[in-house]
Amino acid sequence: MQQEEIHEFLVRFFKANGCEILANEQGYLTVQLTIELDKELMNRPFYWHYLEKTGGVPNPAILTLITDATKAPQDIKGEKIHFGSPRLHQIFQSAKNLAGYIRLYEKRNSPPGRNIPLRPWIGLNIKISYQCDRKRDILRSIGLQLINGRMVEGFHERLLQLDLTPKIPDYSFTLSPLIMPKSGIARIERFLRKELQNEDHQWAIDAKKRWKKDLQLLEHFYEDCESKGESYHNEKEALKNQYEPKINISIINGGLFYLTETAI
Amino acid sequence: MVVNIHFDSSWQEGFLKRFHQDGPWGNWELYKLAVESEQHTVIEEFEGLVAPKHLPNLTPLPHQLEAARQVVENMNGKAILADEVGLGKTIEAGLILKEYMIRGLVKKVLILVPASLVTQWTKELNEKFFIPAVAQKKSYVWEKCDVVVSSIDTAKRSPHQEIIYKQDYDLIIIDEAHKLKNNKTKNYQFAQNLKKKFCLLLTATPIQNKISEIFNLVSLLKPGHLGNESAFNEKYKKDSRSIENNEHLKELVNKVMIRNRRHETGIKWTERHVETVPIRFTKEEQELYDAITALRTNGNWMGPGAFSVMTLQREACSSREAVYVTLRNMLKKEKTSSDFQDQINYLIKKVESVRSNSKAEKALELIKNIDDKVIIFTEYRATQLYLQWFLKQNGITSVPFRGGFKRGKKDWMRELFQNHARVLIATEAGGEGINLQFCHHIINFDLPWNPMRLEQRIGRVHRLGQEQDVHIYNFATKDTVEEHILKLLYEKISLFEKVIGELDNILTKMDFGNFEDYLTDIFGYSATEGEMRIKLENFSSMIELATQMKEGEKRAAGGNP
Repeated sequence: MQQEEIHEFLVRFFKANGCEILANEQGYLTVQLTIELDKELMNRPFYWHYLEKTGGVPNPAILTLITDATKAPQDIKGEKIHFGSPRLHQIFQSAKNLAGYIRLYEKRNSPPGRNIPLRPWIGLNIKISYQCDRKRDILRSIGLQLINGRMVEGFHERLLQLDLTPKIPDYSFTLSPLIMPKSGIARIERFLRKELQNEDHQWAIDAKKRWKKDLQLLEHFYEDCESKGESYHNEKEALKNQYEPKINISIINGGLFYLTETAI
Repeated sequence: MVVNIHFDSSWQEGFLKRFHQDGPWGNWELYKLAVESEQHTVIEEFEGLVAPKHLPNLTPLPHQLEAARQVVENMNGKAILADEVGLGKTIEAGLILKEYMIRGLVKKVLILVPASLVTQWTKELNEKFFIPAVAQKKSYVWEKCDVVVSSIDTAKRSPHQEIIYKQDYDLIIIDEAHKLKNNKTKNYQFAQNLKKKFCLLLTATPIQNKISEIFNLVSLLKPGHLGNESAFNEKYKKDSRSIENNEHLKELVNKVMIRNRRHETGIKWTERHVETVPIRFTKEEQELYDAITALRTNGNWMGPGAFSVMTLQREACSSREAVYVTLRNMLKKEKTSSDFQDQINYLIKKVESVRSNSKAEKALELIKNIDDKVIIFTEYRATQLYLQWFLKQNGITSVPFRGGFKRGKKDWMRELFQNHARVLIATEAGGEGINLQFCHHIINFDLPWNPMRLEQRIGRVHRLGQEQDVHIYNFATKDTVEEHILKLLYEKISLFEKVIGELDNILTKMDFGNFEDYLTDIFGYSATEGEMRIKLENFSSMIELATQMKEGEKRAAGGNP
């Protein structure tokens, strides 16, 4: 992530949270946090607890973030932000916490006098983690139409092309789902499981080989001992934790989308 | 099916709740940002290092990056990092830790380091690696914090040990791991019982004396990799010292160990300027020394006493205070003959008649001429105290440093030295575990007999990050054991000119036992000056030979494409 990208990301993040941007200059920005975002980012629960008990006037913090020290004024005081900085990752995490669930409607101009029907979709942004003693992740975005059961890949990218709003637009009405969201999610899960089972899992086979080899060494190490002590069992358990191949499917975020018939 | 698939259902619960209650729903822009942040942080490959991308302020050296990659990709996260002193093992360990944390493979981490390094590790992990490491101060820290730095001595004590045993660690890092070479010690057994998925052992000297040391280290990391204890002893007993001679063993060890050598890294080092400063005793000092030397042939001091005479000789080269403390302790010891007591009292008289310290005067002169900070190393507490007093009398600020100091005190002393004092006076035990790159002058007030310890002294200052040349002043009193050891041994093997770390190569290669035993034998049991000279020369020739073999090997290795 380039420094300009980070800057842009931060501005969008704070605006989306309703914060006033006090300065948005080359290399830095200064933000007046809202109470909610102060609680989310500034890690000062005692202050807020105290304030709520005493009924004082809340004074959320002003945050200055320096995204490029070479461009920012020399005398500016603030936190330097780069791709690895904890603050940025806290903000990443915060975006996920604050927007885990969503419901949106597509807005489209309708011919006068006609109401537009919107069809329900469930959309999930998914992270698939392949893990043994190493790890890799794949992101997927899958949408499922809750009337006819049609499933679509790259759903999020398609949503980005549409005009979406949190309130149902005028002259639009929603169709009721035939497939309930719960079973929609289950369909997506079944689909992913089936697909993953058919993948080539050489990585897992290799990990199991490494595991087996280390287990054999461990057995050999303790073979002279009459009673294998706690350290043997610890070690054995640790090898399982280290090598056992598994795939974790987790959902980053997702929600309900009411879209026109031709949207996707 | 070779692999279990787990589908996280926690999101679904939250979603269904909102579906039935009609909200609350998130904001579309934030929703998009959440996806974008995932796209930026997702790691699609098993291989390769992503940590450097997260560390714009750190420029790891090529050998450090390669070491980290090797450990993650080929060693499954269990390795001995055994680079020579000063090549940045800490950086390598930090890179590996960061890599695993970013990839989400490691969360709970225990870092065991010498007490004097706890603060430094904590600081480096936080500042260089943005890892929220916490120095263990309260016992709740073990459970509450994810990345904890502690000394092994604290960790193994109750109640800490019990709490630590209950934790499932993803990664354990042990610095100065050569201290775990003996599997009978409490420290070793403590380390062996920790629950650990990944493990890094850091040491510059994986083998110091015996081949069994490497067996114990490797068995801590990967039990069984070198077989079990009885099989290992059976197999390698014969050539118990030289791992180099056994190709098979070497190969096995190299599967779990990374050892970068200085000459392979191509890093430019600043120079060492070594100066021998000859010291002449005052008349009284000389009398004291001679009185001690005269006892060598006396019955009370023979046998095991040979060692005491030599200790006293060496102390007499340092300060009268050092001699005095030893004499007092001898008097206090079990029943001694009145004859023996008389001799001791006679020596004490001699001690009392010494009025000044020639070395201290010389040190003062040097310090006044050097317009910079100076570290004085001495072997003796008594000398340390005396020097502190002596420098103060002469208006020079100094701080003491000892191995026995508590962690906070060590940090404090280092800080004081860096910001407020001219001189740091350290005893031997204080040599390990502090980094003093901001200093460029070392006075060896007296010399340790084990060259490795000398190496560690210098290594505190002459290490990666040292930007200036380093000046080393060796004090040697004329016509004493000290001069012999310096002239006949250290200078002959050009010990001081060696870049750090070369020495441990050479010493581990040599096929003889404990260095100090050897010297005690030479100095204590030689009947005449001539005999001692010849023995010392033989000894230094052996070292020279080992050095040449080493260099020959280097050339041969260099010849390979």
